[in-house]
Amino acid sequence: MRTNESPKARELEDPLIEQQPTHSQDGVDLTLIRWMLSLTAAERLQMLQENVWSILELRGDEKTEA
Amino acid sequence: MTKKPKPNFLEVLRILRKYQVEFIVVGGVCAVLHGAPISTFDLDLVHSRAPNNIDRLMVALKTLDAHYRGRGTRKMRPGVSHLSSPGHQLLMTKAGPLDLLGVIGKTSGYNELLEHTIQLEVGRGLPIRLLDLETLIKVKEETARDRDKAILPILRRTLEEKSKT
Repeated sequence: MRTNESPKARELEDPLIEQQPTHSQDGVDLTLIRWMLSLTAAERLQMLQENVWSILELRGDEKTEA
Repeated sequence: MTKKPKPNFLEVLRILRKYQVEFIVVGGVCAVLHGAPISTFDLDLVHSRAPNNIDRLMVALKTLDAHYRGRGTRKMRPGVSHLSSPGHQLLMTKAGPLDLLGVIGKTSGYNELLEHTIQLEVGRGLPIRLLDLETLIKVKEETARDRDKAILPILRRTLEEKSKT
């Protein structure tokens, strides 16, 4: 049981609990950047590719052009 | 009516590499490869304007069925003089939009940018050269278009987070 421990004590014990900010002062989501940095370059390109395809599909843009 | 090309960045890069075209990936795809969480629909490249590279690029563009975007139903194709100029060629290919940029920022072409690039592998056996993140930020600051200004904070924070890892 760890109920009597302060949050700070738990943080020091548990390396998974990090005190990193989720956003920068100018409003950028730092969690997304950290997640992207955890991927390889090839995985980042694959993710971009899949995002683009998903957006085009949602917009119904992938059909035909004159 | 023809089927719209489905953007496939990897396919364009593969074909350019196949024909040994010398280029630097810049723009949104470059930002994503550096880890910036943004999206983009086109592939921006600065190509070497050396005559032998233009020749190889012309062959690659033929394979990609490259033609100018937004010019109606008639397919207008870029020529040697267009690709040798410092201008921007906004193309559509069978693998999606491709922007070939003679220079970016104030007046940076392939040769000036080369020392500010890194090489990495994005697919099996597909090494590509891209602008380093510091220079990408500098170029976007120089360009100062609204859409560039909008992603600058994301690029700057990505650079900061990268420096921590």
